[in-house]
Amino acid sequence: MFSAIYFESAVRDHPRTRAILRRYRDLPQIECERYSEIFNRKSQNFRLQKENPALILARKHGRKVLPAPGGYGFDAAGSHYFSHMLNCIYDCRYCFLQGMYRSAHCVLFVNYEDFADAIERTLSGSALPKEDAHPRYSQHTYSQDTHVPTRTDEASRGAEQVFYSGYDCDSLAFEPASGFAEFFVPWFAARPRAVLELRTKSTQIGGLLKHGPIPNCIIAMSFTTAAAAARWEHGVPAIDKRLAALRRLQEAGWSVALRFEPLMPDTNPDACRELFELVFSRLDSRWLHSVSIGLFRMPADYFRNTLKLYPDEALFARETRTRNGVTSLRHPNEEAWLRQIETALFRHIDPKNYYRCADGETDREN
Amino acid sequence: MNATSEHPSLPASGGSEGTVNLAVAHRLEAERLIQWFGLSEIMPREEFPCFEDGEGLSLVVTGSGAERAAAGVRYLHGRRLGSAWLNIGIAGHGSAAVGTGLLIHRIARRETGKRFWPPAPGLKLPGGSLITVSEAETEYAEDAAYDMEAAGFFAAASRLVTPDLINVYKIISDNPAHPLAGFRRGQVPSLFGARESEIRSLVAHLRERGARFAHWRSLPAEYRQLLEKYHFSVTRKAALGKLCRRFTALGMGPRLTVLVSKRYHSAGALMAALEGELAGALPVGGKDSNEPAF
Repeated sequence: MFSAIYFESAVRDHPRTRAILRRYRDLPQIECERYSEIFNRKSQNFRLQKENPALILARKHGRKVLPAPGGYGFDAAGSHYFSHMLNCIYDCRYCFLQGMYRSAHCVLFVNYEDFADAIERTLSGSALPKEDAHPRYSQHTYSQDTHVPTRTDEASRGAEQVFYSGYDCDSLAFEPASGFAEFFVPWFAARPRAVLELRTKSTQIGGLLKHGPIPNCIIAMSFTTAAAAARWEHGVPAIDKRLAALRRLQEAGWSVALRFEPLMPDTNPDACRELFELVFSRLDSRWLHSVSIGLFRMPADYFRNTLKLYPDEALFARETRTRNGVTSLRHPNEEAWLRQIETALFRHIDPKNYYRCADGETDREN
Repeated sequence: MNATSEHPSLPASGGSEGTVNLAVAHRLEAERLIQWFGLSEIMPREEFPCFEDGEGLSLVVTGSGAERAAAGVRYLHGRRLGSAWLNIGIAGHGSAAVGTGLLIHRIARRETGKRFWPPAPGLKLPGGSLITVSEAETEYAEDAAYDMEAAGFFAAASRLVTPDLINVYKIISDNPAHPLAGFRRGQVPSLFGARESEIRSLVAHLRERGARFAHWRSLPAEYRQLLEKYHFSVTRKAALGKLCRRFTALGMGPRLTVLVSKRYHSAGALMAALEGELAGALPVGGKDSNEPAF
């Protein structure tokens, strides 16, 4: 999986560092002062590095909890995200991380306790100041379609703050080595007014099953159609396996959510119907926390970077549109197409449990 | 120059696919490499002796020291474009046995404290740290390799190509038990000889990686044909490249060929035709082609 392990001198003796170095004892283990010496340096090439990524163990300094981008998920009063890891062990061609970083190495911040302290401070009312708008989306906002109901279920209504994990990484994919959920699930269990959403495509659920369900933790699994998954999701567990994992979680009493994204504009609604039928034949829709659909979209500068990396990739060669700093793929009749897909979805779920992450008008095209 | 943008070593198509440039300090370090890879000297000989195999592998003998190494890299770059670079040479070490080969993961220049991080290619070769010094090391104070070129080499090469295509490989020639004073230059070829398979695998790895990198960024032959047929401004030339790449990426290469064979009254008219063809285009024959459009 990794070509080498780098570790900061400051975390050399951290128990998580030591455990991971033991786990990967056969790999080159290289000490550095700061992870930024190796990660995201000028002229690094994400695509080349993705062939042989390294793991970097580091300490996270500075802000550890940030406001979630508008339209990211819940309609809750306080939505935040935190990233214990930068980059992902999977290789999804549509992923914005390719355009965000010049480096494909995975950085794992081992100081979970400091993240927990930062979350605690956020919970205790030291609200994030306005100038701390989401760093990647501060120039624009996503517009929610006003015709589509927004999710307002019990968990979010009762909760003061929602904390997303899995924005800059997959929350569970590295769990056997990182022990991320093993640390944070019990921590959130003791703080019922905080909601933790773990976004993932991983089937690494052993730790969750071992711990047992907590009402304020949601496991949100992403899905695309079978054809899209086969073409663009490299190294990701098969849809069947993901569904089997979700079913086990649901049977164990965990709150699970479905994220159908990113939806590509050439996706035939029939392919979505097939996916929905498969998904809802395996899961009990009555016990789903929430369901969302999101179109493929990427901050425009990340899209430009990604296009430079993958000029030979059909996905990025299609017509695009850029609106409010966000690039998406063009669809000639997007709203009608999306409604067709939503209609198919609403055969299986209560629309009250649904929200859409989508962009609207076009203002620049390529 | 940003090596990940348009680098002169990465031309429109072909040319530097899989090209690797080797840099060694001394002629004796080049001896086995010349023999293994069938290299011939590039004539006329100028400031630095250079060799090549005619198939994309070139070598420069830089001379001793970081500055000479950097100058040698720049010189070879001017004569033979390389998509990847490899520095090979002998080094002292604080603890490693004589004859050990080390793929260097970390380079520190003692004089300046500046550090460099060559990539770990996952080849399961023994690795280690290296300190580049300005005079031959005799103390071996740290558990690291010591050389006189790598920091200069890496700094210069990483201004030419992405650092993800630059490696440094050192063979230990001396250590506290076998100090430099007792080392004879004539031992160099045999030290290299014992590490032939490692060096070959590293060169092959860089050739493959460099070839893939060049291929990703290559432009279809139609691009060159169009440049010959029409006059393009610099801006339009770049836009033409992007359009041609989109045709290829979308599996519309045959359609591009047809358009190239037509005659347009200007470059602008051609560009408009290309853009028109691409409007609303979807990939041809992809795995998701069982999902009819809309």
